[in-house]
Amino acid sequence: MAGLVSCKNAESATVVVVSVLDFHFSLPFHQWHQTSMWAYLFRRVLYNVPVFLGIILLVMLALRVRDPVNGLMGKSKTKEAIAAFRSELGLDQPLLVQYGRFVKQLVTADFSEGSWSQPSVTVGELMSRSIGPSLALTFPALVLTTIISISIALMSAWYRGQWIDRTLVIFAVMGMSISFLVYIVFGQFLFAAWLDEVAGWSPFAISGYEALDWSNPGEWFFNHWPHFCLLPVLISVVVAMGYDTRFYRAVMVEESGRDYITTARAKGASQTKVMFVHMLKNAMIPIITRVVITLPFLITGSFLLEVYFSIPGMGKQLLTAVTEGDFPVVQAFSAVFAAIYIASNLLTDVLYALVDPRVRLS
Amino acid sequence: MSGAAKQSRAWRKFLKHKPALISAVVIVIYVTVALAVIFGNLVTIDDCERRIGPKDISGFGWKQDPERQRQSIEWYIDQIEQPLARAEKKAARKSANNEKQSDDKLLDELRSIEFGRLVPQEFSLAQLRTEVDAAWQSVDQLNEYEDMNQESADDAEVGAQIQSVLDSALLKARSLYKPLESSAAFKRSVNLSLGTDRQGRSIFLRSIYSIRVAILVGVVTGVIAVTIGTVLGLMAGYFGGWIDGFVTWLYSTFASIPNIVLLMLLAIMFRGGEIDDWINSWTGNRLEWLIGGRMDETLIPVFVAFSATFWIGPCRVIRGETMKLRESEYVQAAQVMGYSRTRILLRHVLPNISHLMLINFSLLFIGAIKSEVILSFLGIGVQKGASWGLMINSARDEVLVGFFWQIGAATALMFGLVLAFNILSDAMQDILDPKHV
Repeated sequence: MAGLVSCKNAESATVVVVSVLDFHFSLPFHQWHQTSMWAYLFRRVLYNVPVFLGIILLVMLALRVRDPVNGLMGKSKTKEAIAAFRSELGLDQPLLVQYGRFVKQLVTADFSEGSWSQPSVTVGELMSRSIGPSLALTFPALVLTTIISISIALMSAWYRGQWIDRTLVIFAVMGMSISFLVYIVFGQFLFAAWLDEVAGWSPFAISGYEALDWSNPGEWFFNHWPHFCLLPVLISVVVAMGYDTRFYRAVMVEESGRDYITTARAKGASQTKVMFVHMLKNAMIPIITRVVITLPFLITGSFLLEVYFSIPGMGKQLLTAVTEGDFPVVQAFSAVFAAIYIASNLLTDVLYALVDPRVRLS
Repeated sequence: MSGAAKQSRAWRKFLKHKPALISAVVIVIYVTVALAVIFGNLVTIDDCERRIGPKDISGFGWKQDPERQRQSIEWYIDQIEQPLARAEKKAARKSANNEKQSDDKLLDELRSIEFGRLVPQEFSLAQLRTEVDAAWQSVDQLNEYEDMNQESADDAEVGAQIQSVLDSALLKARSLYKPLESSAAFKRSVNLSLGTDRQGRSIFLRSIYSIRVAILVGVVTGVIAVTIGTVLGLMAGYFGGWIDGFVTWLYSTFASIPNIVLLMLLAIMFRGGEIDDWINSWTGNRLEWLIGGRMDETLIPVFVAFSATFWIGPCRVIRGETMKLRESEYVQAAQVMGYSRTRILLRHVLPNISHLMLINFSLLFIGAIKSEVILSFLGIGVQKGASWGLMINSARDEVLVGFFWQIGAATALMFGLVLAFNILSDAMQDILDPKHV
């Protein structure tokens, strides 16, 4: 339903839509639904252009509050050298010119600008290099978390009000009350250091990463990935489980009170059938929203885990770029993240309409 | 009238909800401690940065392994011996007639030694030297064991022997210091009750001081973020039109920037302390007066970063609710009766979204405390005094060598507060906003 609320603003934002809607009425009746979806998408994209421009402006402004030149140049510097360096970076130009240049780069998908702190690497290379490690961490974590927490939530809803349900809820709340950092510190200690001391061997590395070698993918999947990434993935699953289980349980409980469940029960459907066929299907909308909304964060990666386990993913790159004042990297990463974020919001609305026939995009 | 009835019903429900009541009591205790630290100088920054004993002592008088115990004993002796040894070196270089003067200096230096209320005995120098030698000798008895930890673990009898030698050595080492009066001894044992960290600072004092930081960060950012969110959300939802367009644009923009980038940029931006000076001079130092005159400027960037990113959630929720309320009959009736928009917003709409403000406040409170830990890990959080984030962060290496007291204390205290807030906000949601998923 959130999609429907936000459409309201889109209407006032654009006039171009009218021509698209005219086209819509010229089509045969059974295709109306589809075209209105495209019109809707078009309008939403148009509406998000100012949002996207605003994001870039905000990031660029926030970056430029502190002068990065001193940090980047090192100690030996004369006034002339500083001025020369500044103009080399393009920082001497007015903000609007820099803004225009960056927007132009984005529009032409030109990521060939060099990173400031590592001059030999372009922003695009940095991004493509670090997106793999991030995904190797976040994608399995998302899949595992979703499957496990939906199962636990189903179990909790099945035994609703009984001791199993109560224990699960209590554990979820307690798990949510501990800092992410504590999970990481203890996870690393128990499974890497302590296990190594007690058993003399541990399958997990404390830090490091091995890039996927396409000539020998089996080696990576069965050897490198579990060694470097399995522990961080498990930690992030444990951390996310508290939140997700509670959310999915609330969804299930909400659904289980609805009329169609009562009807199905009255007609003599078994508990199993009611839960897995009737309820799960209808609980799909919030589940999809929850999953899709986390998609952009797959790209930025879990920066805490990446920093702690020294996995060279996007999150770690972004953090170093912010601390080192590496403007091109921060700007490009933020812009890409924002684009994916906006796209996934759109995707949620479209998936709504696909899953729930009652939702019409207009 | 119906509002009052609803409130009293909610109040009755709350009083029946036992976990929520217990949580409320827990929160009140935390807040009281925080207020005592802020206004009553219960623990000062100096207290939690001062060395009070050997490093890495465990809490609750828990017996550590013999090797660690030995290190602690040696530390106690070292504190006295170091000035003595330095003076001897100096004396060897200088002529004899300066000796008297340097002795006085040395005595002054010894008198200035103080950690956690322990001060050296007022012996004469010669006596002190023999006492130190005696203490070293009793420690040296341990040299006959090659690997004390291993041997005492293997054989209980040898372990008991080692322990008795250690105990007598500790007595000897402590006899270099003045015995404490009972109240001072009690205070010292309280300060040592949770052990010491790597710099020999009291974990107890540090974790108590951290309550102040947590409550300040939670309350200040919660209040600011909820206020911004409420004002913008109310205006957007009620007036609609270009105001709504602008507010939606603003929060979509803020929400689409990677959260951590925004937090870091803002925190770095406000790091210099100019903002703190500016606020204080602008308000005639009222801010300092309000929070006890000891505002650490490293808190300001944390406040700014959190407030600027956390208002989005409440704004979104309150905007949606206001849009619903705008169409409700009582608001329309008020419009027909010709009440001003301000009056309708303040008297009719605001009371009916106040539960959302409360729920959002407690959610933001939790978020702020947890995010503070992460900012500290990144080195841009609180830097003066202590915070749970700083403690957990500095305990990273300690955990690897099996010392859990610092991370344990910080986690336990944080767990109590966050759990209480989690339970309370759940209960509030059930009671005040039952339709919410």
